[in-house]
Amino acid sequence: MLGKLTWDAIPFNQPIPLVTSIVVIVVILSVLGLITVKGWWPYLWREWITSVDHKHIGVMYCLLGLVMLVRGFSDAIMMRMQQAFAFQSGGYLVPEHYDQIFSAHGTIMIFFVAMPFVIGLMNFAVPLQLGVRDVAFPTLNSVSFWLTASGVLLVNASLLIGEFSQAGWMGYPPLSELAFSPGVGVDYYLWSLQISGIGTLLTGVNFVTTILKIRAPGMIYMRMPVFCWTALAANLLIVAAFPVLTATFAMLLLDRYLGFHFFTTDMGGNAMMYVNLFWVWGHPEVYILVLPAFGVFSEVVSTFSGKPLYGYRSMVAATLAICILSFTVWLHHFFTMGAGANVNAVFGILSMIIGIPTGVKIFNWLFTMWGGRVRFETPMLWAIAFMFTFVIGGMTGVLLAVPPADFVLHNSLFLIAHFHNVIIGGVLFGVFAGYTYWFPKAFGFKLEKRFGTAAFWFWVTGFYVTFMPLYVVGLEGMTRRMQHYDVPEWRPWLLISAVGAVLVLCGILCQIAQIAVSIRERASLRDRTGDPWDGRTLEWMTASPPPAFNFAAMPDVTGEEAYWGIKQRAMARAELSPLPHYQAIEMPVNSPTGFVVAFFAVLTGFALIWHIWWMAAVGVAGAFATFVVFAWRDYDEYEVPAEEVARIDALRREAREDLVAGREPGIRLVRVVERDEPIARTPSHPEGGPAPKRIVTTYGFWVFLLSDFVMFSGFYSAYAVLSHSTAGGPGPLELFNLKTVAAETAFLLLSSFVCGLAMIAAGVRNMLWTQVGLLLTGLLGLGFLGLEVNEFAKMIAEGYGPDRSAFLSAFFALVGCHGMHVTIGLLWLGTMMAQYFTKGFRPGIIRRGLCFALFWHALDIIWVGIFTNVYLLGTLT
Amino acid sequence: MSDHHAYDSAPGEGGDFGEHSVSESVRNYVIGLVLAAVLTVASFYVASGTALLYGPGVLMGLAALAIAQMGVHLVFFLHITTGADNTNNALALAFGGLIVGLVIAGSVWIMFHLNTNMALPGGMMDLHMQK
Repeated sequence: MLGKLTWDAIPFNQPIPLVTSIVVIVVILSVLGLITVKGWWPYLWREWITSVDHKHIGVMYCLLGLVMLVRGFSDAIMMRMQQAFAFQSGGYLVPEHYDQIFSAHGTIMIFFVAMPFVIGLMNFAVPLQLGVRDVAFPTLNSVSFWLTASGVLLVNASLLIGEFSQAGWMGYPPLSELAFSPGVGVDYYLWSLQISGIGTLLTGVNFVTTILKIRAPGMIYMRMPVFCWTALAANLLIVAAFPVLTATFAMLLLDRYLGFHFFTTDMGGNAMMYVNLFWVWGHPEVYILVLPAFGVFSEVVSTFSGKPLYGYRSMVAATLAICILSFTVWLHHFFTMGAGANVNAVFGILSMIIGIPTGVKIFNWLFTMWGGRVRFETPMLWAIAFMFTFVIGGMTGVLLAVPPADFVLHNSLFLIAHFHNVIIGGVLFGVFAGYTYWFPKAFGFKLEKRFGTAAFWFWVTGFYVTFMPLYVVGLEGMTRRMQHYDVPEWRPWLLISAVGAVLVLCGILCQIAQIAVSIRERASLRDRTGDPWDGRTLEWMTASPPPAFNFAAMPDVTGEEAYWGIKQRAMARAELSPLPHYQAIEMPVNSPTGFVVAFFAVLTGFALIWHIWWMAAVGVAGAFATFVVFAWRDYDEYEVPAEEVARIDALRREAREDLVAGREPGIRLVRVVERDEPIARTPSHPEGGPAPKRIVTTYGFWVFLLSDFVMFSGFYSAYAVLSHSTAGGPGPLELFNLKTVAAETAFLLLSSFVCGLAMIAAGVRNMLWTQVGLLLTGLLGLGFLGLEVNEFAKMIAEGYGPDRSAFLSAFFALVGCHGMHVTIGLLWLGTMMAQYFTKGFRPGIIRRGLCFALFWHALDIIWVGIFTNVYLLGTLT
Repeated sequence: MSDHHAYDSAPGEGGDFGEHSVSESVRNYVIGLVLAAVLTVASFYVASGTALLYGPGVLMGLAALAIAQMGVHLVFFLHITTGADNTNNALALAFGGLIVGLVIAGSVWIMFHLNTNMALPGGMMDLHMQK
């Protein structure tokens, strides 16, 4: 009934996780109790849990990141303490527990601190900076957030129920295989990352579509703030890289659950393939994190220097160069795996080349500050510390990119110091800068400055004191993940490092105190104007906090630094721009879809971890049903009446007039004397603002499909490498029957053709032929699926299932993944036909029909790749 | 379609929704189907060991046919073109194609070098790749 789950799963004999869990549970229960007593549930449900407002979702992401930072840091300080004590002794953590701690630390810091924080900032700021009202797919955005939260919940559940992975944050096989990690730890790791990974992928699709298709009138590409550019690059990387991780984890899951042999030590499995695929995702991931941080620094440095960003165009070019180059360096994570001099040299050189655009950026920031009036507000402090710290981290990175040097330093604490140097000094400092910078925009009051400065100094000194010694012990030969050691030379450095961790702890405590103090003193920290930093980009044009619709009238962008220009004109003329003609605004309605889907996702994940199969089935069915219910809804928007918009905007304009006239205490605007009095250009925008929904929806789906192609490329790479590893069993020549394949191809081609005809019928709103066409499409698809199932069943019955050899594992996974897509397509087709039948040709249903057609035709393209590369090449004589 | 000049067209839309007449659209799909079928048959024929193609050229032949067929599907079924109203759609495809190419080519290159460049005795090779 409950699979592997018994009372033994609770660690009664391990006081640390047990007591921690109990404390956390008590805290959570008391918070829930407080909410209930105070009657805050309706507010929370309405404004946050079901909210599809990008600003609220962004804030929730950041909050999630902050909370998990505390969790991840607890792991970190435990590790530092262990190594401080464990000289010629066992320390205070047993190896099994220590291994879980370093695995959890890495997993949590990357996936559940850095990612949510970066995504949170993008969520909050990007639509505001683009001058628009929301992201492309608001409900999907909420789904993304809640799926990430599901992953967080599962990771934390492992503390009390069962165990976490002991295989490191990369989960390398063969250690992470069932044979060597039979417990549930690796399953917790895999399922929580799979679930949150889907959320991240959807975020990527959402933001690529938003930035490319939804911008204010006149906001052409070369007028976008740099943060939007870096967000675009980061989300392109999400779309391109996360599917590979999904595929890789899927392979490991198949190994663990269904006896496949992708990465096992027997039957031809190849653990190196995991390492390779993991870093195909892993290196772009680094840039997914750091590019948005670069964007934050660009905004912060420019704002607090009172100057436009130096070299805007080179910044954009460098961002895009990094976006592409980041996909060409992944081997430097495993130079020592033995690919040989040629391969290592190519990847080593490419790794050094990627430092060049990064260097361009550093110089741009320096030149932005040069000659500017630099104000040392907290965000600017973080930016300056970043420039110092990141350059050091970058240098050690270039050093590690030299393959012979890497052979010495690989997996040493030198490497650990390097990547903490760039991730803390780059990503985390950037996130803190962005958090302080945009906090007043989100909540209407600034963060308190004294605690902010104290936190800054503790963090920066704490970082240096912790990690500089690790460079030294790394050079002295200390490897990562040591539970105990006997080398006396290392001891003093590790003691210093532990002191550094305590300094960082003080920094985090200051940050927590800062939040408390800021809330208490919010009246004196109030930002009435919406522009507390004398900002330059559009988010500072609206009120703090912004109304749900962001902008009462969509801004008309006439140049770079859209808001700065408007502000300067207003100051020059000592009056605001003329009152716009207010119109009613359509906003997306709230939806519990994300929350409900996340509930089922947690249920499914938990059930799969503990092998509770019935519960997993319930979870999957529930999630599917939730999406059907969502697709069925009749109204997805509500209207804010024009008078309401005018009333809200009047308040903003009042404060704005004070600001421009210099009557706002504490804010002195920089005034640039322009040589030519800027002419008030009449709104003339060939780019007419956000694209229509039809284009936005299908474009988003197109981007999603491309990510699907990338996932297949992961499976296909595995097949290409493993197709000769038959472990003495039959090869392609003996197993494949080309007649079946030809018949399958015919079914799929015809199905695609008929689907096209159905779309033509839908185009002319002919219900009968649309339905007939879709029915035929489905039947032909079923025919394909039937043949495939039959083919698989026959092979398995003959003893040639996926457990027979690595070749067969890769074959079943690749072709089966395509078959799974066809199955999903058929389910989708069924619901869509029912929708056409009950609701007729609604625009929303037509849009989804277009997406379905894209999906269905794309399956042909993948099939062409499969029948050529797998079946035809395999049976060549 | 009033917004046609300001925006790229929606991917997959190409002409099914009122731009062309029904017969034009149907003809479009028929051409696609015929081309795809011809290319599929050609692939199977080439792979069946025909004397028509020089032996070592079969691989290249199959690759060319597969890529051509993917192109046919893209143009006639997914309506992705190189037209001015399709820039963004084609760019996205190019990016996806680049990544797919990098992942597959890079993985294969790396993984096969693990075997060829290791100066280890035969028995130890099994650690890396078991046949």
